[in-house]
Amino acid sequence: MTDTVPILVAVVPTVPLLGAVLTLLARSARQADRLAVVMALPTAAVALLLAGISFARGGRPALHGHWYLVDGASGLLLAVIAVIGLCSTLVSPAYLRTSGRSLTTATRSHNLYYGALFVFWAALLAVPICGNLAVTWLLVEATTAASALLVAFTGRRDALEAGWKYLVLTTLGLSVALLGIVVLAIGQTAHGHHGLGALDWHALRLAAHTLPKGTTLLAFVLLLAGLATKIGWAPVHNWLPDAHSEAPPPISALLSAALLPTVLLVAWRVKQILAPSVGAGTTRALFLAFGLTSLLVAVPFLWRSMPWKRLLAYSSLEHMGVIALGIGFGTPLAIAGVVLHVAGHALAKALGFYAAQPLLRVDPGAAKRAPSGVAAASPSTAAAMGVSLAALAGMPPSPLFLSELLIVLGGVAAGQLVVSAIAVIALALGFLGILHALVEGVIGDRSDRARVRAERGQRTTVALTAVLGTGLLALLATGPLLVGSSFIATLARGAL
Amino acid sequence: MNTGLVDLIVALALGVVVVRRRSVAICLLAAQSLALGIGALSIADGRSGSELVAAIVLLSKAAVLPVLLYSLMRRTRETRPVVAANGPLIRLAAAGAITLSAGWLTPRLGLGDVHTERAAVALVLVGIAIVVARRPILFQLLGLIVAENGVSLLAVSVHGGMSYVVELGALFDLAVVVAVAAAFATRIHEELGTGDTELLRGLRD
Repeated sequence: MTDTVPILVAVVPTVPLLGAVLTLLARSARQADRLAVVMALPTAAVALLLAGISFARGGRPALHGHWYLVDGASGLLLAVIAVIGLCSTLVSPAYLRTSGRSLTTATRSHNLYYGALFVFWAALLAVPICGNLAVTWLLVEATTAASALLVAFTGRRDALEAGWKYLVLTTLGLSVALLGIVVLAIGQTAHGHHGLGALDWHALRLAAHTLPKGTTLLAFVLLLAGLATKIGWAPVHNWLPDAHSEAPPPISALLSAALLPTVLLVAWRVKQILAPSVGAGTTRALFLAFGLTSLLVAVPFLWRSMPWKRLLAYSSLEHMGVIALGIGFGTPLAIAGVVLHVAGHALAKALGFYAAQPLLRVDPGAAKRAPSGVAAASPSTAAAMGVSLAALAGMPPSPLFLSELLIVLGGVAAGQLVVSAIAVIALALGFLGILHALVEGVIGDRSDRARVRAERGQRTTVALTAVLGTGLLALLATGPLLVGSSFIATLARGAL
Repeated sequence: MNTGLVDLIVALALGVVVVRRRSVAICLLAAQSLALGIGALSIADGRSGSELVAAIVLLSKAAVLPVLLYSLMRRTRETRPVVAANGPLIRLAAAGAITLSAGWLTPRLGLGDVHTERAAVALVLVGIAIVVARRPILFQLLGLIVAENGVSLLAVSVHGGMSYVVELGALFDLAVVVAVAAAFATRIHEELGTGDTELLRGLRD
């Protein structure tokens, strides 16, 4: 089975790129919709096949070739990006039918949307399997242009502002990260390693203990600070709430559930390869600092009454903080929590953003203010929002309850009692904040402003709630199997 | 790289901080990218083919990006100048302070050429400062490119060179980002009637 890996690695980003070309060439909006759905299925299928192969290898070391690296973390992210990309593409025709104005002419808007979506999806899928740090940087930068177009797709003033902010801030951040890569290359050159191969994850791993500590520390700080801008960690998260709230809902789902953890994987790999030179304590401290700051910055916003998608954006900030804490703790328990959290957050958050589509049909004013009493207006939309919020809050039986528990226990096992205690308090406050939003917005009394409409065209919402809700329960069942597994032990050792 | 050329590259970045006219700023950026390409070419002489390709990529950057920016400038004519928050002398003083601080604070990176190391870090910081301090949308775009030029300066100076694949990929990515940013800038100009980013402050919590 592993013989097919190099072929699959090449096919995984090629299929969505083909999808981009075909949808850009489509002669009508209807044809673009059909082609997008047709191309989404093989894109997700090959990515899931490669993810399956990496999972089947269990705790065995990573597979790496001249250009690629496939390990357990690659498998996790490939599966997440494949599922969320597929769902986002499937719900896109419904979004485009009701979206109104766009950045481009009405006749070409579907072509532009799907073209950018497939390019974004291809770049995302390539990041976890890329075997070289510099090429990974190029791929992350490539996600920026395509996703910025999608963020500003509606062409409204607020969307343009969000798209511009996202483009400028993340590009600047990635310039800082590239500076870190060049500093790392200088360190490698001093030891006779030249050219692109010197920045292979595997080559860096082998050379890490010989790299000069001072230069490598600077490279690590620059890389992490630059990537933090793209991950949306506080205090460099300013673009995140704006981009997630102004982007079309299927794109918000991809940004939050797939892009953020994908870039976080790059930061995780940088930590793994540079820890022997920089020191495990230093790399851990920086991850914990970003994690706690993000968590503490996000919690007050979860208590505020705000539009649905903006609330979900601040929840992303909170959850990226939780994942950073888990990676920072680095113990097998915490890493099991991280794996479960990345997958659970993706399903719950994507469902929340998909629910925004019917929500805005039921109550268009909810784009600018907090929703209220959605259950009375549209029970199926309320069910999707309720499942999403309850899962994101970590309410049992959400897998995020188990993942957060594992991460905190992992922190205790790592001897980080103070950080773990602060995280528990912040998570409890976040839980109450989201519970408040759930009661007020979904279950509470209907505001006079909310308009009641018949439950038309809600089959997609019901189906998504059922599928993603079942996925969340399946993850909960998988959680206990992860603890103590060789798969997690390998990830925690950082065996790239 | 030649010390005088490195100083010229930094001075041209400071020029972008100071000048008011967008056309002049684009010319300064073109000159900076050209100086960077010439410097890379002089280093590449007698070294590997990879470094030569990287130098050619940087020279093409000096042609491609200014053309894109000039085309954007033609499409988004300002009816009246965007008033700067601070005067040119204050901006120059702040940028000069950033450049000197970079010289003081930058630790040895191991390149063996401290002057180039400091200049590269200073360029990245000046690029960030341009994005923060200049209100016109086109100047923010110029700030991004100045920061990228800082990284390129360091990259071409690495003995044995960063791979031309990285230089080529970075140029392609930057060109795409500039093209997307130009599309945004045009649309923002249509929406607001100006390229003043100070008016893009509707999204707040």
